[in-house]
Amino acid sequence: MLDLIILTVSLVFFVIAVAYVYACQSLKGGGDNA
Amino acid sequence: MTSNGWLQIAFFFLLLLLAAKPLGLYMARVYERKKTWLDPVLGPVERLLYRITGINPDTEMRWTEYGAAMLIFSCATLLLSYAIQRLQGVIPIVRLNPQHLAGVEPYLAWNTAVSFTTNTNWQSYVPESTMSYLSQMTALATHNFWSAATGMALAIAFIRGISRRESKTLGNFWVDLTRGTLWVLLPICIVSSLALVSQGVVQNFKPYDTAKLVEPQTVTAPGADGKPVTTTVTTQTIAQGPTASQEAIKELGTNGGGFFNANSAHPFENPTPLTNLIEMLSMFLIPAAFCVTLGRMVGSPGHGWAVFAAMSVLWFAGVATCYWAEAQPNPLLHGVDQRVVQMGAAPSPGGNMEGKEVRFGVANSALWATVATDTSTGAVNSMHDSYMPLGGMVPLVNMMMGEVIFGGVGSGMYGMLILVIVTVFIAGLMVGRTPEYLGKKVQAYEVQLSMLYVLIFPLIILGFAAVSVLAPSFGTSSLANHGPHGLSEILYAYTSAAANNGSAFAGLNANTHWYNATLGITMLTGRFLMIIPMLAVAGSLATKKIAPTSVGTFPVNSTLFTVLLTSVILIVGALTFFPALSLGPILEHLLLRAGTSFS
Repeated sequence: MLDLIILTVSLVFFVIAVAYVYACQSLKGGGDNA
Repeated sequence: MTSNGWLQIAFFFLLLLLAAKPLGLYMARVYERKKTWLDPVLGPVERLLYRITGINPDTEMRWTEYGAAMLIFSCATLLLSYAIQRLQGVIPIVRLNPQHLAGVEPYLAWNTAVSFTTNTNWQSYVPESTMSYLSQMTALATHNFWSAATGMALAIAFIRGISRRESKTLGNFWVDLTRGTLWVLLPICIVSSLALVSQGVVQNFKPYDTAKLVEPQTVTAPGADGKPVTTTVTTQTIAQGPTASQEAIKELGTNGGGFFNANSAHPFENPTPLTNLIEMLSMFLIPAAFCVTLGRMVGSPGHGWAVFAAMSVLWFAGVATCYWAEAQPNPLLHGVDQRVVQMGAAPSPGGNMEGKEVRFGVANSALWATVATDTSTGAVNSMHDSYMPLGGMVPLVNMMMGEVIFGGVGSGMYGMLILVIVTVFIAGLMVGRTPEYLGKKVQAYEVQLSMLYVLIFPLIILGFAAVSVLAPSFGTSSLANHGPHGLSEILYAYTSAAANNGSAFAGLNANTHWYNATLGITMLTGRFLMIIPMLAVAGSLATKKIAPTSVGTFPVNSTLFTVLLTSVILIVGALTFFPALSLGPILEHLLLRAGTSFS
């Protein structure tokens, strides 16, 4: 049971990290890099 | 301090200088997929790996794809490491588990898997009594290669971000990972392992040996009912294992996880002054070479050397301070104790030898401690907890500066490049012009993400350290020392985890649910949540035009740039933590001078 919880927590971290990738991407405003 | 000690430190740096340029140029060729002398051997292996995994090496990735591939790879290998540790007791290969060690318990297995995935190699476990040879090789040593190659790939992606013009891509993560492992890490490790074996580092699958003690020892310890029980010990178990192969990548990949609990203070990991030199050089080799690779790939060798100079200045400041602090006698040791070991006389130079190996002495212990914490290695050949307060503060400060003084393989370079962006931005503010870095305009997006990278680091360290200090039941209860030394122990643990260093100050029992869980979270955050903004900066820089050099361009290959970069590192890194340091090692130093120590 503890194994499952730990594995789930690990996966959740990496899902958050992937979401964080796209959050960083979306920070980019228009006209910044002309 | 002795002239002999300084000569050894100078000799180490000279060897590093000689090795950095050829390796850096070679690495540039490897990552640019140009011809190298190892191609006839490694080319077919590389092509076979791509065929098996279905990877098209010519496919380029945007920074988001590059980051996602890195995250998927790290997640998968983390889970693999976890599974191997949990199952080591039931995997039926007796030769690889001759001590019949049981599966590692869940919290510890997770902490260890996270630790090795993030290149931290923090060890809450005692390897000799916890990890089978199978786990050491397949769950830990493999990660030493993978996490190092991942860091190198990310640094190369950042360098491409600087050097490419109006490009949406940063390369292919899988190709960079493969080439870094095959062309850079493996060949050096094979040579280094053989050199270590020649000096006496063990490499076998034998069960542990048992030796009969010449002088039996009487030991008193609490029994099952809590009452003291006295026993006479007549034998000693001597652990064995495939050490040399793990030792080589442990240092080269700036990983640092010891095959034995005593790490590189153990005579089977680091038996002679020559192995000590080889291992210290291994730690600095790739991070130093990366400066040359940077200069080559961005077309400005002078810029690479300017970054190298900033790293070298900070390294020298650290080793000089640490050597000076450890060469002093402890003011609280008087009389006979002081006369014997502290003041120094032929043939002993004296100084604080507690926790240090006689075969290395003060100079090579201080140099090792500085090198291992400048880089993200975290291996130890002496016990940092036994250092004088200011001597112990040097490793702590090195890590607090974000592991950019040469730093981890790859991670040191991309961490430094983020600080270069901040430096260029500050220089731009000073002269009132839009900052440019090698012809790329540095704008709001890059600065925002660079500051995100810079701020995550102290946030996680100071946040968890504060909670631990305020929690007697699960935080301070793990401490061996109280007062400012205890604060240093907690601060050191979280700094080491966030910086992905992995060295332990000792004195803190971190194998508890609280520390295993929070240090694990700290390691993950310190690695991945800092990598992502870094990659975003790289991706953004890659899309930009390269403006021609003008009179307003801030030269990044000058002495002024080196001075400014060094100042930014000191201000951003060290001053952020100054309040915590003043309550820890600095206060302890002052109290020690006043005659107070903390046990």
